[in-house]
Amino acid sequence: MSAPTRVLGTEVRAAPRPTGEVPTLADTLRSEWTKMRTLRSTKVTLGVTALIVIGLSALITWASVASPHHGTQAFTNPLGVIQAGWGLGWLAFEVLGALVVTNEYSSGMIAATFLATPRRVRVLAAKGAVLSVVVGLLSLVMTFVNFYVGHAVLSAYPAFPEPALGDNNVLRAVLGMALTSTLMALIGFALGAVLRHTAGAITASVAVLFVLPLILQALPTSWRNPVEEYWPTQAGSQLEQVTRQAHALTAWWGTGDLALFVALLLVVAGVLLVRRDA
Amino acid sequence: MIQVRNLTKRFGAKTAVNNLSFDVQPGLVTGFLGPNGAGKTTTLRAIVGLVRPDAGAVTVNGTNYHDILAPTHEVGALLEAKAYHPGRRARDHLVALAQASRIPNRRVDEVLGLVGLADAGKRKAGTFSLGMAQRLGIAAALLGDPPVLLLDEPVNGLDPEGIVWVRTLMQALAAEGRTVLVSSHLMSEMALTATHVVVIGRGKLIADSSIEELVRASSGSRVRLRTPLAGALVPHLLAAGGTVQPGDDGALMVSGLEPDAVGDIAFKAQAPVHELARLEASLEEAFMELTQEDSEFRAQGVTGAPAARQGWGAAARGGADGAGAPAGTGTGGQAGAWPGAPAGDGAPAGTSAPPAQGWPAARQGWSGPA
Ligand SMILES: Nc1ncnc2c1ncn2[C@@H]1O[C@H](COP(=O)(O)OP(=O)(O)OP(=O)(O)O)[C@@H](O)[C@H]1O
Ligand SMILES: [Mg+2]
Repeated sequence: MSAPTRVLGTEVRAAPRPTGEVPTLADTLRSEWTKMRTLRSTKVTLGVTALIVIGLSALITWASVASPHHGTQAFTNPLGVIQAGWGLGWLAFEVLGALVVTNEYSSGMIAATFLATPRRVRVLAAKGAVLSVVVGLLSLVMTFVNFYVGHAVLSAYPAFPEPALGDNNVLRAVLGMALTSTLMALIGFALGAVLRHTAGAITASVAVLFVLPLILQALPTSWRNPVEEYWPTQAGSQLEQVTRQAHALTAWWGTGDLALFVALLLVVAGVLLVRRDA
Repeated sequence: MIQVRNLTKRFGAKTAVNNLSFDVQPGLVTGFLGPNGAGKTTTLRAIVGLVRPDAGAVTVNGTNYHDILAPTHEVGALLEAKAYHPGRRARDHLVALAQASRIPNRRVDEVLGLVGLADAGKRKAGTFSLGMAQRLGIAAALLGDPPVLLLDEPVNGLDPEGIVWVRTLMQALAAEGRTVLVSSHLMSEMALTATHVVVIGRGKLIADSSIEELVRASSGSRVRLRTPLAGALVPHLLAAGGTVQPGDDGALMVSGLEPDAVGDIAFKAQAPVHELARLEASLEEAFMELTQEDSEFRAQGVTGAPAARQGWGAAARGGADGAGAPAGTGTGGQAGAWPGAPAGDGAPAGTSAPPAQGWPAARQGWSGPA
């Protein structure tokens, strides 16, 4: 039975009893990293996101000081001006997070994934971890490049103040951008796992990030303020504020609020993943 | 060894698999047959835990798939041909799957060679033809060198050479003592590949037997008689309780009578006999007969096999049937019941073809009393 058999000139090894080693979470992580690394579209998306965020921020910074019609922003909140392009970056990270999961559903790859790793929560954890590390590291590099580019633009216009990393809360805001970006990617990721369709997940991501906060603007102030205060993406963005805003949580309470929202979404995603047919 | 026990799966109001039980034995290729929508894919997906049953259980070598510690080394499955991201290179796809199962990359190159994709490993899987996609899927299934293999329509999209290759591979794997379950709606393909068949229709078990038994049990056995005096002989055959239908080339296809009886009647009627043979039902016919009640999608207005077979039938439920009987043998009328069947092998779509198809073509010749 263990004699090698030749099938059309190729040897088939016979192993009537399974001999394989039991895979661990580390193996699932390795596999998910390979999946992330071997898609050119992912790399292109990440590269384009970095360029757009840094470029757009630089452009807005320049416009806000070079134009004679500049507002007061550049005086009151120069870091906010420097980081102005990140809203688009957050959306891009949400989309990337969603695609990590929905790609597998739309291509049918998910079946192969769950065949290899029937523990679906382990798959979710490994995917989420790889995504977090990739987005976290990239946005960490991005946020420093963004800061120094913006700083350079502002230095060219002596009439305007330039934030320094040593200033109150500036380093926190610069570093915080990497954390907020990672949490945003995880929102898209969890929404992708819940909705399983790329278009649906992207729509939901846009809704969470942009549309619902806009709708909030239409509410009467007495309702709007508390909702806006706790709306996760609004609350999370307080980490990037150098001075505390009115009707907003503090930086860390806000980040905690966002993190809690992400955690809830991930739990829902995990439960559904286990309950539903693949 | 796969054990399916009282498996039931519903999708909303639709019961895809209905209280299904069967075993799949190691050491042979088991065909898993049924018309479109019979529930084959759903059953296979339930075996590997992709679909969660509403009732019943499935075990592989005694264990639920979710509880197998190293599942890729225990079960290999080809479920969908294109279960990969089109933008990823074929080899990278396999590497990712191998890593998840703690399988070294060496094995990836081995299976790529085994399925004949050694030179295509660097190509994006999205550029693959359907046949290459099937091969990549088979490579993935073989990664863990598993003793149990599930293949959902593996020959779909393969060229004749590829079909022979899959057939040979499956038989070789079974010969090594592995359990091989392969679904198809091409009876003719199964006839060449499988030793045992499990037939389902509308989610229920219809037959679970060896191919030989299936053919033997089929009521489709007939006697073929060629005589220049066919017209004169028919009334005698009908009178003796037979059912007669025109065969191709003017022969008479008689059912309900044994060959010796037909010969005796011809002798008494003084009709010269030029040919007299017993035709056993082909597997295709046996399959049609089994599943005609259960075929989910059938073309409207197409006469079922029994009606078509009536010919100048004694039952004579409607004389019109005779005129409407197709020129071919019985199954011709059923061809339309397979709207979704791939044209590839010509198997179900062709008009009848037991002799042309050749298998298990009828022990032709005189069947003398044993
Ligand atoms: N995810 C699903 N949601 C709803 N209905 C489904 C789902 N999967 C399968 N079905 C239905 O269940 C039935 C069985 O489908 P299944 O795919 O198992 O059949 P099959 O025997 O593999 O058919 P085919 O030969 O066409 O591949 C069909 O009626 C199908 O429409
Ligand atoms: Mg199917």
